[in-house]
Amino acid sequence: MFKELDPILHSQLRLAAISLLISVKEAEFTFIKEKTGATAGNLSVQLGKLKEAGYIDISKQFKDNYPLTLCRITKKGIDAFEQYVVALQSYMQPSDKNT
Amino acid sequence: MQNNNLSHEESLRLINTMISKAKDAYRDTGVGAMLWGAVIAICSLTRFAEIQFDFKLPFDINLLTLIALIPQIFITIREKKNRKAKSYDERFLDYIWLGFGISIFLLIHVVNLTFESWSPVSIEYAALAGHPSPFKFSEFVMPLFLILYGMPTFITGAACKVKPMLWGGLFCWLCSIITVYTEYKLDLLLTAMSALMAWFIPGLFLEREYRLAKKKETSPNV
Repeated sequence: MFKELDPILHSQLRLAAISLLISVKEAEFTFIKEKTGATAGNLSVQLGKLKEAGYIDISKQFKDNYPLTLCRITKKGIDAFEQYVVALQSYMQPSDKNT
Repeated sequence: MQNNNLSHEESLRLINTMISKAKDAYRDTGVGAMLWGAVIAICSLTRFAEIQFDFKLPFDINLLTLIALIPQIFITIREKKNRKAKSYDERFLDYIWLGFGISIFLLIHVVNLTFESWSPVSIEYAALAGHPSPFKFSEFVMPLFLILYGMPTFITGAACKVKPMLWGGLFCWLCSIITVYTEYKLDLLLTAMSALMAWFIPGLFLEREYRLAKKKETSPNV
């Protein structure tokens, strides 16, 4: 049986953001923006969706009098990412296993 | 980047690309390693020259290590400020090097106290026996430092997958064994070599890697 892919993660920008966050403890919004090459507006919306799903935490601080947005993956986010990768792998397995 | 749906292959490719991009976020600039490699090498070579050419500087060259703490603080602050993502092992390595710094200063203190206690005994022995004591405490000082130099270097090299640093740590431990059997003057040369192998050369390697990663960053995103 094919496992269903999480629709929250199965989107280019959200998957890119969560893949970055799985590799680091926490990252600034500008870091994710730079690495994904997304626009600030689009990224903000997609990060909001990940936050709504409980996959990431977003905190706002100040650094040198400038606002700083920090993102961090949650336990739920890690589990969802792992399940997503397992599901992806099930699609990539030889067909005899899935039929 | 848009938020389009992806094929399975594209998803896996995207995950791999992003994970490798994240690794570049906490690359060490190598400046700190180069600084300490150079400072320890200069201190050891100067002490070697003082003994070899029989002269004495008006100050203790080892004080340079205290002065080097000032640029190190600035380097650390600047690197932390420029870093836009925190890795999981960053904190762990920070504590290892902080512990190393504290251990070095404690070891210097203990060695100085031991010298102070041993000197009168040594003088008394020479007066009574008519020849200097065969036990020279100075012969055992450098091995202690080299053992300590090797530990955080080896751990950092292994944890961060910086092979030159891992080999540098092993080189420090090898020299710590050799210096037990060599005279103090040669110990200083081996210490200078260890500092270059453990920090200065890996620092150059890290700096090059950092520059290459920065260059790659300017290339178009996926």
